[in-house]
Amino acid sequence: MKWFKSLSVAALSIALVATSVSAAGAASSLKGKIVINGSSALLPLTLQASNEFKKLHPKVKISASAAGSITGPQSVRKGIADIGAVDWDASQDVPGFKKFEGQVAHQVAVIPFAAVANSNVKVDGLSTKQLQDIFSGKVTNWKDVGGDDADIIVVNRAFGSGTRVNFQMKALQGTEFLSKGSNYKEVKSSGDMKTAVETTPNAIGYIDLVYVTNKMKALKINNVAPTEANVINGTYKVWGYGYYMTKGKPDGATKAFIEYVQSAKFQNGSLKKLKFIPISAMK
Amino acid sequence: MVLKKAFLASILTLAIGASAAGAVSAASATKASETQAASAVYVVNGSTANISTIEENGIALAALREIAPKLGAKLQIADGGVRAKLNNRVVVMKIGSDAIQVDGAEQKLQVPVRSIKGVTYVELKTFVEALGGQFEKNEQGTTWIDSNLLADVDHIQWVDDSRFIASQETDSGRKDYLVDALTGHSERLRIPEGASELVAAPDGTKAAFTNANGEVFVLDFKAIRPYQASKDTSIKPELVWSADSSSIYFLQGDKGSVIAKLEPETGKIAKILEDKVDYKANLNVSSDGLTFTYTVTKPGVVVADASKPVDADDVAIDMKGTEPQIYQFTVDPGAKENKAVQLTSSSDDKVFVRAAADGSSVSYVSVGTDEAARSTLVTVGKDKKTVTLYNDKDVYDAVQSAGKWYVLTEGADGGLFVYEVDPVTSAAKQLYELNDTVTEIFAKDGAPFAIMDDGRVFVDSNGQWKPVTRK
Repeated sequence: MKWFKSLSVAALSIALVATSVSAAGAASSLKGKIVINGSSALLPLTLQASNEFKKLHPKVKISASAAGSITGPQSVRKGIADIGAVDWDASQDVPGFKKFEGQVAHQVAVIPFAAVANSNVKVDGLSTKQLQDIFSGKVTNWKDVGGDDADIIVVNRAFGSGTRVNFQMKALQGTEFLSKGSNYKEVKSSGDMKTAVETTPNAIGYIDLVYVTNKMKALKINNVAPTEANVINGTYKVWGYGYYMTKGKPDGATKAFIEYVQSAKFQNGSLKKLKFIPISAMK
Repeated sequence: MVLKKAFLASILTLAIGASAAGAVSAASATKASETQAASAVYVVNGSTANISTIEENGIALAALREIAPKLGAKLQIADGGVRAKLNNRVVVMKIGSDAIQVDGAEQKLQVPVRSIKGVTYVELKTFVEALGGQFEKNEQGTTWIDSNLLADVDHIQWVDDSRFIASQETDSGRKDYLVDALTGHSERLRIPEGASELVAAPDGTKAAFTNANGEVFVLDFKAIRPYQASKDTSIKPELVWSADSSSIYFLQGDKGSVIAKLEPETGKIAKILEDKVDYKANLNVSSDGLTFTYTVTKPGVVVADASKPVDADDVAIDMKGTEPQIYQFTVDPGAKENKAVQLTSSSDDKVFVRAAADGSSVSYVSVGTDEAARSTLVTVGKDKKTVTLYNDKDVYDAVQSAGKWYVLTEGADGGLFVYEVDPVTSAAKQLYELNDTVTEIFAKDGAPFAIMDDGRVFVDSNGQWKPVTRK
């Protein structure tokens, strides 16, 4: 308990009666440095969380970068990042990528994805079979799926993208993508995907739901519209968890930061503002 | 708001008053009828109350007919005794009984319920707590008795000089209340599920928020429900009211790349700055609405060869230059190529960034690269020169109010201090000494200074910390 202290007449200091004695130091004196790399879909979320976290723990330094999901767990394995942001659970095998041994996966967000087409495409929705056939190159003309007689331009994300992994697993049920041809394009980021689909007539691609604009068409899959509500009610299946990977169990500032991102305050607040879905919504 | 010399005198008076009231003989149970009825000073729901009390075996008993109405409890003769009801709690007391019934369950008393000259007295603390209230006596001799306090408040935001918005974070979402700091009385604010945090307008009459779709709403505190100010569904990471509370500025896009302005009356949105610079944050707008101050955080640069096998871990990260930097943009329709000006380029971390009302300078807490070094309060002007305002002790939290900075710093013996720093003269005045369980400070022009201590909010009430929320 602190006793009443008086200073000079010009300044007063009043003691606060402690109702409990804290064993640890003030939360605001937490120190540390956190390097986060990986998924570009999760970068805005990471930077927003970092901005808020620093107001609670100003002595923790956080720097973030993105170059595609696979570089997240890779940089953790290499020891150059504390957190690998990735759009799949990298402690498990997924199409194209073996699991990263010893890394612990922390769920941080639910990311919905949409199949999108250029606004000239007359088709409103596709079935899983139709998507598989289009993205594997089996079906090459829109007329085969109820559209106009026009070549389908397939726009794909580059190998390493978490969006690509999720789309392949959830929308294509694991079917292999076609990888070349005059009607095939590959792009490096969601920004590039957005531009490609918006500006290429007859194009089809896929993108995080948050980046869908009114200059493109978000397609129904198996007659279900890609909306947050349909992800939450279980009828729309094309979504994945965003993860933070750490080498083993995290501690110190890294642990505190992950806990902040997973906290009800952040999940129901800024995470929703950025149009991700809270992890609790899927339980 | 801040302590003045006069309060020292009032604290001493309070302490003296309380001890005089307590100076009755510690009578045994059999001599209870001989104890004197004396008046003691308590603060009940924010108001100083003279309640008749007697003391028996060192326990204070209060006159039921005085304490009950002050708590807001209704009294009734019932069940052979007196029944008190407050919110959903029912307490039944019988004269001479050494137990009370609390919602049907028996609770023992240390001193039986007494009747003296026809006035019923019951253990004060026990009675207050049985009704679900809080009872706290501080070292200055003040006893705070509250029956309205909100529990589990995670954050507050002053709205005007006597009310604040209190937010509870629960697993199912956030609940917001408008709270009277004096009485503790709270009113739930009706906002839709999934709404962003509320941003109070400077005039204290309303708050803005975005719903789950990104649409901006305004809640007038006198109205029953909020009104929709805009149909625009773009992501809005930050909302900032204009100084005159008539417009809402905001960062737009998931990377906060655009600065825009919304007129809530018409729903019109105008872009102020669209320069393709991502990750703007901490938006400040000058009183005249022309100067915009914000931080920009550059992501690190990654070099990765996707053609190499995954196991090669061919990835390199360069985090140089990723510290937030402060920028300022001034609207100038006459300028040919109007660009934002970068005010800082140092590698320190910059937190709690606040521009002066006229935008002429920007202050912030600078956290250096050396972990052992102290965090300091710094100001930078349009000339890009930085001046240290305060560097005596490690700074943990900083808020600005009425042109002064209030910093929560490392204290003595593991505790904390609060200093008031004048940004013009750099003069620092120590205001409070606090326990290290204090995690946040809150200040607003005209409102009392508030702190969050171990999960509870206290306000400076005439020099003493008055609890305004409970655990």
